[in-house]
Amino acid sequence: MAKTENGVRIFQGLLILGNVVIGMCGIALTAECIYFVSDPHGLYPLLEATENDDIYAAAWIGIFVGFALLALSILGIVGVIKSNRTLLLVYIILMLITFAFEMASCITAATHRDFLTPNLFLKQMLEKYQKPEAGNNNDKWMSEGVTKTWDKLMLQNQCCGVNGPSDWQEYTSAFRTTYSDADFPWPHNCCVLDSQGHPINLDGCKLGVHGFFKSNGCYAAISGPMNRQAWGVAWFGFAILCWTFFVLLGTMFYWSRIEY
Amino acid sequence: MCGCCVVLVLFCLGLLSAVFLPDQSQKPQLGDAQLATNNPTLTTVSLEKPFCMFDSSLYPNRSYTIYLYVMKESASAMSSLVTDDSNKPLGSTFQQTSRGQLRPYNAAFFDVPDCAVPPRLADVRSFVHASYVLKQYLFRVGDDGTCLYDPNFLGVCNPPLAPDTTYRFKYVLVDNSEGMVKDQTLWSDPIKTRRAKLPMKIDTWPG
Repeated sequence: MAKTENGVRIFQGLLILGNVVIGMCGIALTAECIYFVSDPHGLYPLLEATENDDIYAAAWIGIFVGFALLALSILGIVGVIKSNRTLLLVYIILMLITFAFEMASCITAATHRDFLTPNLFLKQMLEKYQKPEAGNNNDKWMSEGVTKTWDKLMLQNQCCGVNGPSDWQEYTSAFRTTYSDADFPWPHNCCVLDSQGHPINLDGCKLGVHGFFKSNGCYAAISGPMNRQAWGVAWFGFAILCWTFFVLLGTMFYWSRIEY
Repeated sequence: MCGCCVVLVLFCLGLLSAVFLPDQSQKPQLGDAQLATNNPTLTTVSLEKPFCMFDSSLYPNRSYTIYLYVMKESASAMSSLVTDDSNKPLGSTFQQTSRGQLRPYNAAFFDVPDCAVPPRLADVRSFVHASYVLKQYLFRVGDDGTCLYDPNFLGVCNPPLAPDTTYRFKYVLVDNSEGMVKDQTLWSDPIKTRRAKLPMKIDTWPG
């Protein structure tokens, strides 16, 4: 009798520990997803313009899943201590629903990250940067977002174009329709600028003399934060799900062994 | 005996031509690719100015000007003359020659660069001297589009070139007082401006 009593106590202890970990992971997931949704690098307009912003949708789902995990873990702890069948049944059903949502969020983040290739950003930059008066309001909003984001990217990261300034020479663009190639082989933000924001030597920049223009591409500055976001949401989510899976199994076994 | 005579005569002719005929083995070159990496662009070509190319034809105490002629390679060989019958330089402009398609046009004229003091390319690193060095060393064909907007403009024009087109260039030395051509380089090697691709053809599928 004492042995089974001890065994039950240990099993309860394990389930409570499991739920505590789930609760803490839920808080961590919420915090991480709030950080990503706040867009510290200002790259959201680029994704919005490609109409491919699902890694942000995954982060939004992650915020609510985190809260749900926290609440459900408390419910689980109370249910295990009281050995109450109803509470544990509610816990199991809600946890399964949360599990499904989190699975969707992780898969979305992992697969949509693959769409973010250099060519995607290149095409968008060429078609929307400095686009003159566009057709409808939506188009205009997206072009302005892309233009502001690229200007900020080029200034802060000392880079030009997606693969390099040669992008502006290899392709025609909306920018090229307004600005002639003789005066602007590439935007003036691609030149090394002084403290007032003017190119230090415009002729040197136009001719491509090293030291007067930025020869790096901006793709690393774009893909770095986006990869971190996608992998952060996806893999942390999968890790939580693995742990939750075992806790759920244990809880279902415990529920089935509670006597009426 | 006869064979030896022929060889001797040919040798003497060769020597004479080297000494008395102007040196025509030089032609306009593209600017140094290590220095000016963005060359040629879609509508411009930056050429080295003719340093020390005409020195054998320069006399002291006379003033000279260098004329630059631009021609599309598709223009026929017959019409690639840059002088008229009295050896004066042709004043054909961009508009008159259909953008260099019919015959060469005069894109610019400038002073003869000083052979004794060539520009120090290392100075281009300094922000202060860079513009001066670049102006001394290179000439940018296609730099100035403003003359295209004035329909009444009839002067010498250096407007943007056409993309994806092959051009050839020539420098001509003209004596200012007589107005006659004293020397000219050969036509440069064909230089092609860049071609731009359409962004809608970019394949964004990640697979």
